[in-house]
Parts: sequence; C-alpha cells; structure tokens
Amino acid sequence: MPASAATTWLDERREQAVAAYEREEVPTWRRSGFWTTSLRKLDLDALEPRRYEPLDQLPPVVADALGEDDLGALVVQRGASTVHAHVDPDLARQGVIVTSLELAVEEYPELVQEWYMRRLSHEEGKFPAAAAAFWTGGVFIHVPRNVKLDKPIQSVYLIDEPGTAQYAHTLAVVGETSECSIREYCLGAPIEGQALHAGAFELYAQAGANVQLAHFHDWGPGQIHDISTKRVEIGRDAHVGWVPVHLGGRLIKQTLDIITAEQGSDMRHTGLYFTERDEHLDLFTSDKHERGHTTGDTVWKGALTGNSRASYEGLIHIVKDAQETHTYLQTHQMLLSQDAKGDAIPSLIVQTDNVSASHGGTVGELDEEQIFYMTSRGLPRSEAVRILVEGYFEEVVQRLNDEGLQGLVRRRIAEKLLAAEDQVNRFIGERVAHRPTPGAVEEDREEEGAAA
Amino acid sequence: MTLEIQNLHVRIEEREILHGVNLKVEKDQTHALMGPNGSGKSTLANTIMGNPNYEVTEGKILFNGEDLTEADPDERARAGLFLAFQYPATIPGVSVANFLRLAVNARREEPIKVKEFGKVLRENMDLLRIDKAFSSRYLNEGFSGGEKKRAEILQLAMLKPEVAVLDETDSGLDVDALRIVADGVNALRGPTMGVLIITHYTRILNYVRPDFVHIMLDGRIVREGTAELADELEEKGYDFIRAEVEASNAR
Repeated sequence: MPASAATTWLDERREQAVAAYEREEVPTWRRSGFWTTSLRKLDLDALEPRRYEPLDQLPPVVADALGEDDLGALVVQRGASTVHAHVDPDLARQGVIVTSLELAVEEYPELVQEWYMRRLSHEEGKFPAAAAAFWTGGVFIHVPRNVKLDKPIQSVYLIDEPGTAQYAHTLAVVGETSECSIREYCLGAPIEGQALHAGAFELYAQAGANVQLAHFHDWGPGQIHDISTKRVEIGRDAHVGWVPVHLGGRLIKQTLDIITAEQGSDMRHTGLYFTERDEHLDLFTSDKHERGHTTGDTVWKGALTGNSRASYEGLIHIVKDAQETHTYLQTHQMLLSQDAKGDAIPSLIVQTDNVSASHGGTVGELDEEQIFYMTSRGLPRSEAVRILVEGYFEEVVQRLNDEGLQGLVRRRIAEKLLAAEDQVNRFIGERVAHRPTPGAVEEDREEEGAAA
Repeated sequence: MTLEIQNLHVRIEEREILHGVNLKVEKDQTHALMGPNGSGKSTLANTIMGNPNYEVTEGKILFNGEDLTEADPDERARAGLFLAFQYPATIPGVSVANFLRLAVNARREEPIKVKEFGKVLRENMDLLRIDKAFSSRYLNEGFSGGEKKRAEILQLAMLKPEVAVLDETDSGLDVDALRIVADGVNALRGPTMGVLIITHYTRILNYVRPDFVHIMLDGRIVREGTAELADELEEKGYDFIRAEVEASNAR
C-alpha cells in the first residue's frame, strides 16, 4: 500500500478488518429443517490472490458474455488485478467516474472516503471481514447529480485459474436525480480446482435518482465458491430496480439487502436462479424499510436440476415508525429433478402499524395440466417443458429491461435446460406413471402490521 | 378422414367413467354430444386427446384408420385432432402469438414465414373479433372466461385440424360472446373439418346446427338422432330421457 496521506484512513479500516478476520471463525450456516451451508470442503489455505498484467483483448469468457453490447464504461478485474478499464469520453465529459477502487482511493480520496462502507461492516463475519481487509482492484462508480446515461456502466469480476482467492469491492454512488444502468458480471472459466470470490458491493442512490442495477453470476462448472454481501441504499424519492441473476457456481452464499432509507423511496427487487449438477446456492435477501411512505415489490424465481441444492430466504423488515409502507414479496421455486432439494422461505418483521406487507411462496413442480395443454397443440413434450420453464422465468427476464443481458440470460437458461433435458423428462414421466396430484404447495399470508 | 371410437372404457384412478362408448365423426360432419354434469362427456374429450390422467382399459380410438389409443397428445395433434378445453391451462411468460407460432410450426416441416403468420393471425383475430393487443398477452393469464374460450377458437382457426372436439366451449359465455364463438365455428367447420360439440345445454346448437346428436348418461351413449333430438331434449329435459332409458332397460 502506498504511504500517501490519502490512504491512511483506508489503512486503518483495513487493519480493523484484518483483526476481525483473524478473530472470526469460518462459519457454517444452518436453517431450520435440512439446510446447512458449510465450507469444510474448501481448502482456504491453498488459495491466494493472483496478479495479472493488463490485457489488450478481453478474455473469451468475458467477451462472450458482453457480446456486442454498447457500454458506457467497462472495468474488468481478473483475479486480484484490474486488467481493463475504459470510459466512453461522453461519460467522462459529464463528470462520470468509473475506475478501479484502488485508483479512486488515490485520485478521489475524499469522495471515496465519504461513501466507503457506509452501509457495510467488517463486523459481519469472516468473509465480509476478508473482503474489507484484503480487497484489491475493485470498482468505483460515481455518477454526479442530474446526469442521464443511456449506455450501461459495466463491471466484471473474472476467475479463470484454480487456486485463486479474489477479494472484491464495488462502490457505486449515483447522484441526485441522475438516471443510469449499472451491470456487474461475475464470471468463471471452467477451471479444474477450487477458487474463492469474497465480495462486497454497495450502491447509494441519492435523492430522486433512478437506477437500474443488474448482477449476473455465472461462475461456470468449476469449483468456484462465492461468499458475498451486496447492499443497496435508496434515498428520498429515488428508485432502484435491482435484478440479481444466479446461473452457476459450486457454492454460493450471498446476502442481498435493499434499503429504502428515506420517504418516497421505492424498490423493485427481482431475482432469478437456476442450479444444476452438485451446485449449492444459499441466498438471503432483505427488503428493509427504514422510513415511512416507502414502497417495495420483490419477486424471486428459481429452478433446480441435477442433485443441486438451493435455498432462498426473503425477509421484509419494516422498522418502527416507518408507517405508510407498502410492500410485498413473492418467492417461487420449481423442482426439475428428483434428486434436487430446495426451499423458499418468505418472512416478515413488522415493527410498526398502518402498513401493508404481504408475502407468498410456492415450491412446486411443472404442472401436468399445462404440459398436456401444450402437447395437445402438437408440441413435443420436451419442447413443452422447455417453453414452460422459459415462460416461468420470463417475468424476471422482462424486468432486466436490457436487450443484451436478456439475450444472455435466455441463452444460458436454454443451455442449462438442454443439458438437463433427459433428466427433466424422466422426472416428469415418472410422476405421470405414478399419477400424483400435480404438486404445488401454496402459502399466502397477509399481515396488516401488528404494532411491535 | 374419420374419428372412430370403438367400445371405449376409461378409468380415472380406480373408477370406471366410460363403459363402452361408440362414436364416429366424419370430417364433413358436425356432431353434438350432450349430457348432464358427471355423465362422462369431458372424460371422453380428454381421452380422445390423450390426457395421461385417464386410462383406457378397453376399446380403441381410431383416426383415419390409425390406432391412436396409446399415442401421445402431440402425435394426435399432428395427426389432425384438436381439443378446445373447457378449462384451458394458463401459460405464464408465453404470449398468444408466440404460442400459436410454435403450435403452427409443430405440424409443419418448414417454419412458417413471419409475414405469412402475421397475416393469417390477423385474419383469424378479425374473424373472432379479437382486439389486436390480445396476441401479445400471456396465454390465458388473467383472461376472462369469454377471452379464454375465444383464445381456444383462435387456436382452432390457426391449426385447422381435421376433427375438433369442443369441450363445453359454450359454458360461461354471454349471448354476444356465444354468438361470436358460434360464428367462428360455423366459418371453420365444413367439408374439411369435422366437429364434435360437447355441451350440457342446447343453446349453442341454435347457432351451430349439428348433423347428429348423441346423448350420454352415466358413461354410455343412450340415445342418438339428428338435430331434432336436441329439440326434444330441450323440451323434455335429461330426467325424461333417463326415465325413458330406464324403462326400456327394465323391459
């Protein structure tokens, strides 16, 4: 670390985080029922940050995911190093900053210090501490006030070698009344061996801002573990539409929090996951309403094939005095294999009155009546299944509101379905043979905020 | 071109619903199958189309001489059979237009050209007096009862089957909607499309005049005749028919 005055504050923060890291144990996450997320198979000591030289050409995995998308700015981190950074001159002229966080600390120390980890803490466990202590490269995005961008700002974290430990940190700040789209991709090459991504992401949307935020995770079939925290704070009368997408990773444990922090702030939180083979996905999301007169709308949809495991827990939290809050959360999960296991748990904490908050969830399988309907129109069974699953996800895909990314997500879902085709058909075929009632467990609850 | 049902026995779970049904529909004929609730009409419709929840224990379903009793629903559809569902399933995320294009292509060697498909779709939507915006809605999602029935007939019009079974397509329609659906069926039926109208009521038969009428009670066809039989039923009701049948069985 350079010993310039500008970074002294950061050194202090890192030292505190290192202390927390050394103090904390590697956790095991347990929930009621069958669920456990454990890292005992991850050999942490064998992993290390890997440095790379800047690249003229994007690595194939990255180039393939980005396609022909017209980007306003792009920062790519490979392993521990920022290997590519580009900002469209148009954006630069408008005062938009997109660079590595490492550089931003040097060049815009006050700006970074003002926002850095405002809503994140190194005291949240071993891995948040690790990310805070050891991050390198990183991404810094700053959109000044009253700027409207039509091209997305893109960041990419890439892991393409086994043995990699990637400690990541993205800090994004969108100024008052500005409008923009931010996309972050987490991509893995098909490596043979273990790797770790321990990440932190924070976004602050200031008053009146309108931000479209997407996270796309596809770590590939390698043994990549992702333990991350992402937090979004929405200011007064601001809106954030957030779409996290999970399409691959050996073990993923993420905490995703979105906070309506001021009156009039509004969130739309829509997520998607598709697990296959022996993947393990553990998601916890929270919609936290800290002030009254805020609104939220959360929908998560997942599908499971292979002998994968996926657990989604979504919490709506309305704090004391946040009256006139209106929010709901829906979570759906579709099992496509008899060996897959999952759960989807919506929950509510309401500490005030005069709010409306509702949640509902379904865990189900493909509906035999839908399949019969589609096959009766001449579609072969496997095609009917594919169309039904794609249709199931379409509500979320639509909310990406971004053609390039929509195409990428649809393509990856289609590939995964094709890979699992025999297994899915076998599963559904067996169900028909045994003629159970098409299984969907439904639960719907409405709560009119009981006073704490 | 004929749909022929021979001595059909059908079971759902452990209960036999149809006890030997015989029926023959030629492609230039319109038949009505009438019966009270629970008589087995929908079971017959579902079995003709190959719903896996229904088990054929005896008898055959022949289509153009080919035995389709064990065929998958998609094979039956591609052979030229169609079922307009009483309660069509909702297909979220798949628009009416998209679904129709997939279904049309499922029975073609070469996919239909986008322009041609658009033209045919527009024509058929006009025929059924369906609003343009309808085609971009997700199939049956949030549709009213009348919209669902019209969407079924739109599919019928697009797929042009040789024999179509309409399962209670008239139920839940107001007079205007019934009229539109009936006009649509009348425009489509004829020398190349046979129709089997399954209904509880005679109402739709005032608009779509059948060549033959079959009355089903308790899983058997008990009376057969021409359109006049429907008029007789209208006048006397199912209870009269039932009493008559029981009397003749007792003899």
